[in-house]
This record gives sequence, structure tokens and C-alpha cells, in this order.
Amino acid sequence: MTMTRRQLVASIPAAALAAGLPRGATAQDGRKVVTFWFGQANSDGQAALRNDLVEAFNASQDKYLLQLEVKGAAVNNLLKVALVAGNGPDIVQTAGPAYLTAIANAGQVLPLDDFAEKYKWKDRFLAPLLNTSVYGGKLYALPRDYESMHLFYNKELFKQNGWKLPTNRKEMEEVADAALAKGIIPFGAGNADWKGVNEWLMTVFFNNVAGPDNVRKALAGELPWTAPPFVEAVELSKAWYNKGYFGKNYFSLTIEQSFLQVVNSKAAMAFSGTWSFGTKSYGMSKPDTVMDVMPTPTLGSAFSGSLVHLACGATLSIAKTSQNAEGAAAVFEFMLTRKFYETMNRDWPGKWALPVKDLPPDMLQGIGYPLFEKTIANLHEAFSKGQYGFTTWTFWPGATNSYLIEGIEQVWLNKITPDAYLTRMQTLFSQEAKEGKVPPLPPRTA
Amino acid sequence: MWLFALPALLINICIILVPAVLTFTAAFFIWDGVGTPMWAGLANFQNMVADPVFWSALTNNFIWTAIFLTVPVCLALVMAAALLMAPKARIVVQSIIFLPRIIAVAVTGRIFQGMIFSPATGIVAWLNEHGFSISDPLADPDRSLYAVAAVDIWHWWGFLAVVFLSAMRQISVDQIEAARLDGAGFFALFRHVLIPGIRPTLTLMLILTVIWSFQVFEFIFIVTRGGPAYGSEVLATFAYRHAFFEGDVGQAAAAACVMSLFGLCATAVYLWLQITDDAQST
Repeated sequence: MTMTRRQLVASIPAAALAAGLPRGATAQDGRKVVTFWFGQANSDGQAALRNDLVEAFNASQDKYLLQLEVKGAAVNNLLKVALVAGNGPDIVQTAGPAYLTAIANAGQVLPLDDFAEKYKWKDRFLAPLLNTSVYGGKLYALPRDYESMHLFYNKELFKQNGWKLPTNRKEMEEVADAALAKGIIPFGAGNADWKGVNEWLMTVFFNNVAGPDNVRKALAGELPWTAPPFVEAVELSKAWYNKGYFGKNYFSLTIEQSFLQVVNSKAAMAFSGTWSFGTKSYGMSKPDTVMDVMPTPTLGSAFSGSLVHLACGATLSIAKTSQNAEGAAAVFEFMLTRKFYETMNRDWPGKWALPVKDLPPDMLQGIGYPLFEKTIANLHEAFSKGQYGFTTWTFWPGATNSYLIEGIEQVWLNKITPDAYLTRMQTLFSQEAKEGKVPPLPPRTA
Repeated sequence: MWLFALPALLINICIILVPAVLTFTAAFFIWDGVGTPMWAGLANFQNMVADPVFWSALTNNFIWTAIFLTVPVCLALVMAAALLMAPKARIVVQSIIFLPRIIAVAVTGRIFQGMIFSPATGIVAWLNEHGFSISDPLADPDRSLYAVAAVDIWHWWGFLAVVFLSAMRQISVDQIEAARLDGAGFFALFRHVLIPGIRPTLTLMLILTVIWSFQVFEFIFIVTRGGPAYGSEVLATFAYRHAFFEGDVGQAAAAACVMSLFGLCATAVYLWLQITDDAQST
């Protein structure tokens, strides 16, 4: 349908009115409004959200009108305050199960079991990710995506220098030392704009040195964080930092600057997440002649081979006080359509990779992004088989995770010992475990 | 008489006193910000005192206070006195030194972070490329607090200078001329005429500096977020982290109480000075 200029002008006030409608309101055309707050989105992401989600959903039916507000980095704080005050959005998006736990425990979001039965969500989602939102036998959220830490590397640089892809710690250190000798930074890394980069690295060290089984035992309270495998993990992170593997300017470079070091051959590798595919400025082209990506190899003796890390970057729930829960559920169901999956992943790769069985990654083959396609396919297979490690931002409770991020800087900068760091982590974790703040743990297989 | 004060009093009770009482109360509860608060007694204060990061943050607040009671105040006093003596340059110089004050804090922070201190895109990078080995002070836990303080001083001292100049212009011209006729040079005039002449303004700004120094947050949060390794952590970032990253509102409220305590002490000193002045003048 095409609109005349007059119709377009006439629709502007109606659109403006709809954008400002409060939750539970009815739009001018009689549709019930569904409100949704989103956190940070770059310009590509915002365009994708408007086109592929909001406009596509609103055009798909005549009962509900989805209203999106991009709230920025402080969305998690705003959301908590708004929920307590009863003024939050209908759709409650959190930054992952660790954030959802407090909100679900406080009863601020609705159990989704009835909707899950109606739309067969429990059969459709990958169980390990869906189960991270099950509390007391009730489902409180749907996972929006799957993520993992991966090893991104400059394949041109590897080829020029004759370096082989590392399969264990020894080989990784050989490549890193060879890079250092040539004045190349082994791992492009920087946390000037986001301290969470610390936990990206510690997710790799904890899982790939201590092993995912030991991490799971610690999260289940069966092994203290002060146990030798974790001491070895923290000590290795400190040794690598002090050897200069992360460069001299880790605390001064932004994520983008540090990643571009790899793209520009100033650094050889980077531990980064699958969300990196969604940032065009990182310079990873489609298809790519410079960059490549692989699961992170083992860095200890706990396992051999490589490992992906189970993460859910965002959960989607419905507010307890929502007056349009059916509309919110209808939006969720829309997100599970093939068309949305394809368009959203084409326009904003890595951000909305729904972990749904009937949306297999081979559907992404048409988007022309081989690196992303192979990574998601690998994740889908590993997560389906239960072969994964555990990311800190998905499974560590809030205070413990906050200390994991802040305290490791003290270790790397020789302010405290690895033992002191892990002892403090254990103290915080024990307290939070006692208070029921540890997110649910999915099983894993070898 | 009291009726005239009633509207302002009511507004203050609603937007200052009630939240203050609620914050004080929250300090005695364990609360994650969304669930049901649970009585904790003094546990939040005990945990805070046992946390080495709290003591490091408190120390940093004292260092910050000492810096801001001296460096920008001295700079501003000297500049104000110089401008008083050079009326022709006054408008241009005042405009220039006041400029940082009208730039948004977030913009100033990002300018220093990305265009001055950054080893990739800043002046530090340029110096390194030209043979000067300088590291980013923001990345050093022992220097980061001073580096952020330098940013805030740049933003703050011009405003102070303008305030002091306004106060100095209230001093009688006859008094200044008489001192000059008696042979007083710049520093003698400064010490024996200008400083005593603006004593009430100076006292107020010093007291306010103490209060603001214990509330400092924006620059530190924007530029270093309290790091690295808690190197620039202050009470406000300590409280923010507990409230919004760790889901521990009670602990954050306890830290806020400590911040307020220092503000209250400074206010009490100011009131006492005012009462003393009033008694001397009557």
C-alpha cells in the first residue's frame, strides 16, 4: 500500500500520539498498545528495531500496536525503579538471567507457563537456555539470543607469519610470544568504555583453564572458588596480563579501538563475543578476507579441544502489572517467525539469534555472512548437545559478578593476590547462594 | 511570618527530607531494589567498615577535598586579583576561563579521556610518537584520581575565579588605592586587603567545596568509573556500584549516610562561623 503525501502528513500526529501513549492505553485505531523498552542500540540496530520489529509487527495484525523506546545504557536501573513503582513497560527485557533473578524472585514479572503452553514455547526453545529462566518450576522469561566468547583472529597475519591456529595453552603462548617478539599485540583488548570486558576475559580463563565441569560445580556450591583449578585460572590471567599479552593500554582503549587493532594487523587475536558480528565498524566484512573466528581452545588440563560458553545476552518477560499481557506474548510469538529471524539477523547480526529449534542456523545462509553463519551453527549444535561452559554474565549472581569484574583489576595490577581475590569471591558467592540469587544451572554433557 | 516560609518548607520536606529519611532508613535494611526489604540492623554499616574498598574510597574523598581546597582556590584567587587590577582584559579572560563550566560534564570527560589522555587518539599518543614516553594516567591506579581531579579542576577553577572577582569588586576602591599609596605591592595587597575583603565569600566557597568533594561523582564515573583497581573510587561511585550493579541498596544507602555526615559537619562549621561573625558585628 502506498500513502499519499497528505495521508503521510495526517498520520504524523497519530504516530506521535501513539508513541506517547501510556501502558494499557488504546491507540487511535483501536489497537491495544504494547510498550517495550530497549537499552543501547547503534544506528544500524535502531533502524533494524524500527523496521524489522516494530513496523513489521504492527503491519502483521490489527489487534496490538507495539511501541518501542530506546532508553540507553541505564535501562536496567530505570527498569527496576519503574517496575517497583508499577510504571514499567509491558515487555520487560533484562540483560540476561543474572539480572532477571532479582526481578523474578520479587514477583515483578508474570509466569509465562500459560502462554508457553499455548504457543508451544517449551518444545521450540533450546532447553539449556530456556531453563535459565525457570524459577520454582515456573517459566519467567524467554531467551532472546545465544552468545558465546570466541577467539577472533587475523588470518592474514597468521598466514604471513606461518603461525598455526593454537589448540592448547602451549601453542597459544607460542603464538603470543612470537607476536610480541614482532611488536604485535597478542590479544587486542581494552576496557576504557566498558569494564565488563574484564568478565569476558575471566569467562574464558575460568572455563578454559579450570574446565566447565569445575565451574558448574562451583556455581552449584559443590566446589569453592578458592579451589586449585580456579587459582590456576586467575594466576594465568595475571601472568598473561603482566607479560603484555593484552597490550600496554588495556585500561585506555575502548572495545572498538582494541578490536580494530586485530582487523588492522596491530594485534593477532581477540577474545570477544558473538555480538561483535553486529558492529559494522569492527570492519568484519561479508565474506571476510582478513578476519576469522573459532571457539576458544583449552588453556588447561581439565579438558582437550575447544569450548563455547553458554550465554543469554537478554531475556524477555511480561511485567506483573501489564494490562496487555496477550499483546506482549503476541510480540514474542512474532519474534519466532522465520521472516523476523531472517531480516533481524541480516540487519543486526548477533543480537537477535533466537535459540529456537525450528529456526535452525542454516536459515541464515542467505544473509551472506559466512563467519556469522558458521559461528551460530556451531553454537546451535554445541548448545543442543549440552557441550558448553558458563558465562559470568549469565550464571554468576550480581554482587559476585560485580566483584569478579572489579577485583580482577586489583590482581592484574598487583594490588591483591589471586588467593585474596578468590576468597572474597567465595564469601560473596556463599552469601548470594544462601539468598537464592544464583540463576538456575542447566546440565551439561562432556 | 512562618506562613511566608511555608511553601518553600513544604517543597523541601517533600523532595529533600522525605527521601533523606527513606535513604537513612534503607541503610538498616537488606534490599535488592525490587524485592521486599529485610531488617538488617547495623549489618550494612558493619559490612561497609569491613570492606577495604570503602576505606580506599573514603581516603580518596579526603584527598579530593584537600586538592580542591587548595589548587583551584589558589588559582582562582590569583586570577581574580589579577583581573581586578587589569579591567581591560577582564571581559575576554573571564569568558575564556568560564567556558569549561558551561560545557557538559560528559563532554568534558570524554574530551580528556579520548583527546588528551588516550594513548591511541590523544595528546599522550602524539607525545609518545614524538619520543616522549608517557603513559595514560587514567590507566594507573596510583595516578587516576589525580588525573580525574585535573579534569575537574580545569572545569571548576574559572567559575571560582569569576565568583572571587565579583566579591573583590565589592571591596571599596578607596581601600585599595590607600594600600597602593602606602606602597603595597600585588602580594601585600592580595594578602592584607583582597583576601580579608572577600572572607565571607571565600569561607562559603571553601565550605561548599568540602560538601561537593564528598559528593563527587560525575567526572569519576564518566572518566574512570572508579578504576582501575578501585584507584579512583570515591564514596559516590562505591554507593552507585552497590545500588545498581550489585543489587545492594542497603549498602549503598549506608555509604550515602557517610557522605551526608561529612556534608553535615561542613554545614555545621559554616553555621557556627556565621553565628560567630554575627556576634562580633553586633
